[in-house]
Formats: sequence, C-alpha cells, structure tokens
Amino acid sequence: MGKSWLRDYIVKRLIYSIIIAWGILTITFILVRVGPSSPADKYLANITARGGDPAQVTAAIEARYGLDKPIYVQYFNYLGNLFRGNWGWSFGTSMPVIELIKAHWIYSFQLILLSSLFAAILGMLIGIYSAVKQYTKTDYALTFLSFIGISIPNFWLGIMLILVFSVKFGLFKTYYDTTLPLFSLDNLKALVLPVITLGTGMLAGYVRYTRSAMLDNLRKAFVTTARAKGLPERTVIGKHVFRNALLPLVTIIMFDLGSIVFGGAYLTEIIFGIPGLGQISFNAIFANDYPVVIAVTLIGTFMVLLVNLATDISYTYLDPRIRYG
Amino acid sequence: MRKFGIFLALALVLITLTSGCAKGTTVTNDFIDGESGGDAETLNWILAADATSFSYAGHTVDSLATYDNQLNIQLRCLAKDIEVSPDGLVYTVTIRDDLKWSDGSPVTAEDYVYTLKNLMFSDWLNYPYKSYWQEEVDGKTVLVAPQVVNDTTFTITRQTVYPEFVYRIYDLIPYPKYIAVKYEGNVEAFTQAPEFNNLTYTGNLGPYRFKEWSRNDRFVVERNPDYYLGKDVGAPYFQQYIVKLFSTSATRQAALEAGDITSTSIEPAEVNRFKSMPNIKVFTIPTTGYTLLAYNQRANGWEGLKDKTVRQALSMAINKQTISQAILLGFAEPAYSFIPATSPWYTDEGLAKYGVAPLYDKQKAAELLYQEGYGIKDSNGTIKVTDKKGTPLHLILAVNTGSKPAEDMAFSIRKDLLQLGIETEIKLVPWATLLRQYMMNTVPDSKQEPGDNNGPEAVSQESWDFILLGFSTDLLAPSGSSVFFTTKGGLNFFGYSNPQVDELFNRIKSKEALDKTARQQIYAEMSRVLSEEQPIDFLIFHRANVGFQKNVMGIEPGISMGYNYYMWYFEPVK
Repeated sequence: MGKSWLRDYIVKRLIYSIIIAWGILTITFILVRVGPSSPADKYLANITARGGDPAQVTAAIEARYGLDKPIYVQYFNYLGNLFRGNWGWSFGTSMPVIELIKAHWIYSFQLILLSSLFAAILGMLIGIYSAVKQYTKTDYALTFLSFIGISIPNFWLGIMLILVFSVKFGLFKTYYDTTLPLFSLDNLKALVLPVITLGTGMLAGYVRYTRSAMLDNLRKAFVTTARAKGLPERTVIGKHVFRNALLPLVTIIMFDLGSIVFGGAYLTEIIFGIPGLGQISFNAIFANDYPVVIAVTLIGTFMVLLVNLATDISYTYLDPRIRYG
Repeated sequence: MRKFGIFLALALVLITLTSGCAKGTTVTNDFIDGESGGDAETLNWILAADATSFSYAGHTVDSLATYDNQLNIQLRCLAKDIEVSPDGLVYTVTIRDDLKWSDGSPVTAEDYVYTLKNLMFSDWLNYPYKSYWQEEVDGKTVLVAPQVVNDTTFTITRQTVYPEFVYRIYDLIPYPKYIAVKYEGNVEAFTQAPEFNNLTYTGNLGPYRFKEWSRNDRFVVERNPDYYLGKDVGAPYFQQYIVKLFSTSATRQAALEAGDITSTSIEPAEVNRFKSMPNIKVFTIPTTGYTLLAYNQRANGWEGLKDKTVRQALSMAINKQTISQAILLGFAEPAYSFIPATSPWYTDEGLAKYGVAPLYDKQKAAELLYQEGYGIKDSNGTIKVTDKKGTPLHLILAVNTGSKPAEDMAFSIRKDLLQLGIETEIKLVPWATLLRQYMMNTVPDSKQEPGDNNGPEAVSQESWDFILLGFSTDLLAPSGSSVFFTTKGGLNFFGYSNPQVDELFNRIKSKEALDKTARQQIYAEMSRVLSEEQPIDFLIFHRANVGFQKNVMGIEPGISMGYNYYMWYFEPVK
C-alpha cells in the first residue's frame, strides 16, 4: 500500500502511452499515404517502358495490396486487424508483418542490450576511476581516449575491426551469422565486434558523464562528512558519491537506449550484416512498405514510452525523496 | 581497478581462444554467394518487378532454355528446340516428359498454357511483363494465342512477325495449374499463397529446392537429388547454395578475403589485390550493361541538344578513355552504339567512334559548336562556347547518388565540358527522385499521369540537360532497346525522335528479318545511324570482376558464366 501512488502513476502513464501511440499511428498512417510515392513506383519504369498505362498499373498494384479503398476504410480496417493481432502483409518482403517482426526483433534486441551493458558498465567504471584519479596521467589518457571514442564514426570503426580482427587475424567471422543458436558462446562471439562498434561511442560518452557527475559530488559537503566519520574510501565513493551521481547517468543511458532503438543501431547492422529492425525499417521506407513502416514506428514509439516510464520509476528507487502525483 | 584490468585481459584471452581459426576456411559443402544489390521482393515471381526475385526463384525452377558463353542455346525444360513456322507466326514448344511437380504429378503443356492465359494475360493479376506477349495488330494491342497440342506440346501463335519473340518463350517458367486454380481471380489470396511464397511446388524442376529465406540476410536453397538434368550430369555438388546479402562492397569483399564466403564481385580498384591472393581467383567477364549520357531533347533541356551537330560536338569533347582507363581502371571499353561487341549482331564497320581519337578532339568540337552559332571567338581565334546570345552556358547534369564510379564519371564529363567553356552543374539525386522528377514527364497543364515518355510535348518536373545512367542490351535480341530509341519508346525519356531509326526497329519486327543476314544488315545500319546521331553519348560497356575461392572448379568464365553453375564443385582435398 506504501507505494500505491506509484501503481496509480504507472497505470496513468500506460494509458497516456496508448493514447500517444494511437496518435502517432494515425499520423504515420496518413503521412505515408498522402506522400508522393507509392508501392507501385517500383513497377512503373518497367511497365510503362513496355507500353503500359501508368494509371492502370498504379491502380492494379494498389488493388493487390488493398490500397484502392478510401483512406478512412483502410484506416479502420487496419485498426480492426491490429486489435486481432494482424499487422498486415509486407509488400516489400512478401510475408505477414508480424512474422517479419518476430523473425528479426531479436537481432536488434541482443545487439542493443549487449552494447548498452558493455558501454554502461565499462563506461561508469572507467569514469569513476578517472574522477578519483583526477589530473593524473591515467586520467588524461582516459580523457583523450574517450574523446577519440566519441569522435570515431560507427561505420569506420566497424570496417576497421573487421579488417583487423576478421581478415588479418581470422579471429571472428566477417559477418554476423544468423544460423548460430541464440544462447551459445558462438553467438556471443559473433556479437563481439558489433557490440564494440555500437558501444564504443556510448562508452566514451558515459566515461565523460560519469567523471563529471562524480567530480560534482566529490566536492560536496556530505562527502567530507563521510570521510570525517572515518568511512573507508571505497564506501565513500561507491555508496555515497556514485549513488548520487547515478541519477543523471540513468537519464542519459535511458535516452541513449531510446535513440538506438529508433535507428542508431542501423549502421552497425549494415556493416555486420545483422538483419535487425533497423535494416527492416530502413528498407521498408524506401520500398513504400506501409504496413512495415507503421509497425516499426509503433514499436519504436512504445519502446521510447516504456523506457521513459522505466526511467521515471527508477528515479524513485535511486532517490526515495522523489514522488509522482 | 587492477582486478578489473585483469578481468578485462582474461576476457580478451577467452574470446581469442574461443575464436578458433576462422580464416580461409571454406570447409563445408555449401556455396555462399555474397551479394549487395538488395533483397528480393517475393518468391511468387509472377508478381515481381525486380531481377533478384527471378534470380532466387530461378534456383528452384528452370526456364525452357538458356544460353552458354558462346551464346549457343542450351535446352533446359525443352525436349527439343522451339520450332518456328516458315511464316514466322507459329512457335511449337515441346517440353520434356520427365518434369514433375512436388506432388509427383507431371508438368504438362497445360500448365504452361494456363500460366500464360490465366495468369500472365489476366487482368486481375497484372503481370508486370504482360506487354512482352502483346503485339500491335491494325492499331490495336492484342495478346498472342497459346494452345495445348498434347501433354508435352503447345503452340503460341502471333499475328505479326517478330523473329526475336522466340527468346521470350525460352524464358518461360510455369506455375502449377492444380494449385493456382485455387487462387484464380483473387489477387490478394494469390499474393499471399503459401505454396508460391515458399516455392513448395517446384518438384524436380530446378537444381535446388527452397530451404529458407531470412529477409535482408540470406536466401538458402538445398541440393535437389531429383533434378531432371541430374540423370545426365548428377545432382548438384553443393549441399546448399546460399545467397548472403551485404550492405557494402567493403564488407562483402572482406568476407571473400577471409574465406567466409565462396564468391562475390570485386570492385575495379581491388582486383589486383585480390588477384595476388593465393586463395582467390578472379575472372574478368564482359557484361551487357553500358553507361550513357542522355541528352535532353525535350522543351526543358538546352535547345542546342536538339541539334545533331551539337550532340556530336559534345560527344567529341568527352574522353571515353579517361572513363574506361582512369575511372574504371581498364575494366570497361568505349561504347559507340547500344550493341556490345559480344553480341552476334554487332558490326564494327561504319560506326562513328565519338570520344576516342580521331573523334575525340576538343578543338574540333569547339569549332562545330561555333559553326552552329554556339560560341564566340576572341582576337586570338580561341573559341568559347556560349548560347546563341553569347552568354556563358550553364547546364545541369543529374546523376544517381550512391555509385562512386558514376560520380567520378560525372566530374570527368564536367571537366571535359569546362574546357569548352561550358559550366556544368552536377546534381546528385536519389534514384526515386531521378526517376520521378527528372525522367518521368507529362504534358504541361494536362491531367496526364507521369510516364517515361508521354509524347514530344511532355517535360519532366525538374529541368535538366544531361543524365548519367546505365542501360543494358539483350545480346541475342537487341531490338528490346527500341524502348529507348524509338519516338514512342516507353523509356525514351530524353525525347529523341528519328523516323529512320523508328523504321529500322520496325523492320526488325518484320518478315524480312526472319533472314539472319538481312537482320544483321538492319542492326548494322541501326548502330551506324545511332552512333552518328548521338541521341545519347554511349560512354562505356562495363566488364565485371568476379572473385571465387580457388577451390571452386567447373567455372567457365564468360558473358553467361552462371549457365552451368549447378555443375560447379569444390576441388577434392588432396
């Protein structure tokens, strides 16, 4: 009962999330249909070149995919199907959208999860060390390296890692092999280079944020008090300083998570041939594959909304003074 | 922190130890073909508009015939070559009697005729290439008439003569009537039919059977032990044939170098490096593709481009050797017409070879433009090309983004034209934009739907003067290029019109052309006229480089290198 306000808050936020997602779905649904391009575009050049009538071709292709009905009919049909678990048929890949998402989400999820863990854990540890050893040679070296990490473009780093570790030393396969069992050492090994590629920029950022947040707190009075009480330095740093520095870090990590869900992992997927949602959504946009575009937008929206909710909830645990009304 | 460092070091050692030795290991019996041209749209190939879909389906179902590197017809599902009646109107097709669908039932002439009449020719399905099977009779478009003769024989009757129609028939692939009838008339159900989307019907019709298609990742087919040609040569050697997709040529080539894939194409700049690798062999083969510079002869292009002499002068100023040697590093040869030297219909005699000495001459080009009124001469006699009012020329060259060689070619052309005094603005635009805003056109203030050639009055949304892009030519049936060069050609977006060329393309589709010598003469004349007229600047024909692991045997390098790919094998380990 003590946290019934939190339950109410979560319920309220979930209702808001559904309303926001519905709004975004509606806007996306309208935008993709009123745009100048059509799924028939890819057929037009071939067919009209051989004497076909462009208008007739467009009409026939749109009939094939049910796009010949008025837009409001298509919209209500879509919503009705969505509630029944039918996300439509992908024009660009010729399979049900739900099957497409089911087959590919895991590739993005494992990459994003492992990269975030790699970047967050290593980034915070190095950031703490750098703050504690402020203005030492190690601090300068770590600062220098983290600036390099932030500056290196993903696509360049990925290709360099492949050329050195896969081609030169033969330690890893040059591309991600989707036939490997998900929970296997081989799969983990296959993800080493993609995780380093996607995680390096984030890691370097977390090093800088952690160092900065730690230094802010190290200068505060409660640290002096803790030290004066004779607490061991490890306790002062780990339990007092780091816990207080964690609040802004959680915001940044969660924000990053939201960003990569919305396409930040795309380049890494491209380089390593990982058929994740980033690639699926990018191709769908260019193929005017409306059902897939709407589905990935909806999933992305929910992910961001849920990540934001999780961030807000985590605040209440990290700082018990925080309450939501 | 020291403990953390030790942990990190241990983790790296562990990863290294568990990595094994991946380099150079093609030890499985699988052939992995690295591609980066994008994934297929569908395996239900009759609905497809892209080449990749046909290529995927083609591993599991053979066409009636194909051709080898010497362009000899190789029979596939045909029992004997197609017979053409003396008047050139009736084509008799006899298929093998040992072709089977997956349920064991025989593939019959009825399946082929059903595929043509009820699917390809239907209004409800909208087969993208229906017009291949249409002809103009008394000003009306009609379909050819297929008819079953017996279980293994059918005929296709035309009302007009078209000697190259036989090549359309060679490409024919059937759908199983016993499955297709369930979906007939319902395009949505047909589009989503599981049998067609999973190629479950293909029986013994192809060297491989469908196994798996992971979108944007890989397409896998497995050895078909029942392959109808297997009785003669054995079933394919490879257990699986895998098309692995890559998004960049750099990663695709790295995969070949590391031994992770069996074959892939090699960029020109990388060919020498790959040739020096002990585990790789590279074949350089001719292609049917050429790069061209289209001259906009419509109302929204520079008026000078309607003048043949101006087009000749511009083509005379653009150096094809620079493009073929400096940009494509020798993996291209100058083009002078749309027919490549590898085609049996190519004739060198009489071709105007613009862009190569002696018809590569900037001074002469400037003089020609000056004669036509496009230029001013200073006191030293130096000509600066201008418009007819004497103001400097500023022209627009549009090119598709994403191809480094194409962009380099655009800049090379810009440099060549600048030496004449013509300032060229290069517009790098995505393909969809190039297609919709530059190539497709409509008559101003009309309600026309945009098309690639909406008549002589039509203009594109964006103004342009040159477009750099690629076309290809059917080696055996080059008359398909009429879509580019005839007045009403469906892809004549640049607005070229010459009654003589229209007439020559018409003669190819006539009784006269049934005689191969006569057809050769018509093609020679057509090439000569187009090389003289320069409706476009035919720049270069490309050569492709394909790299293989050295242990792949049975490859016959040539223009149709994959025609016998089901007979390729790995060299036995000694």
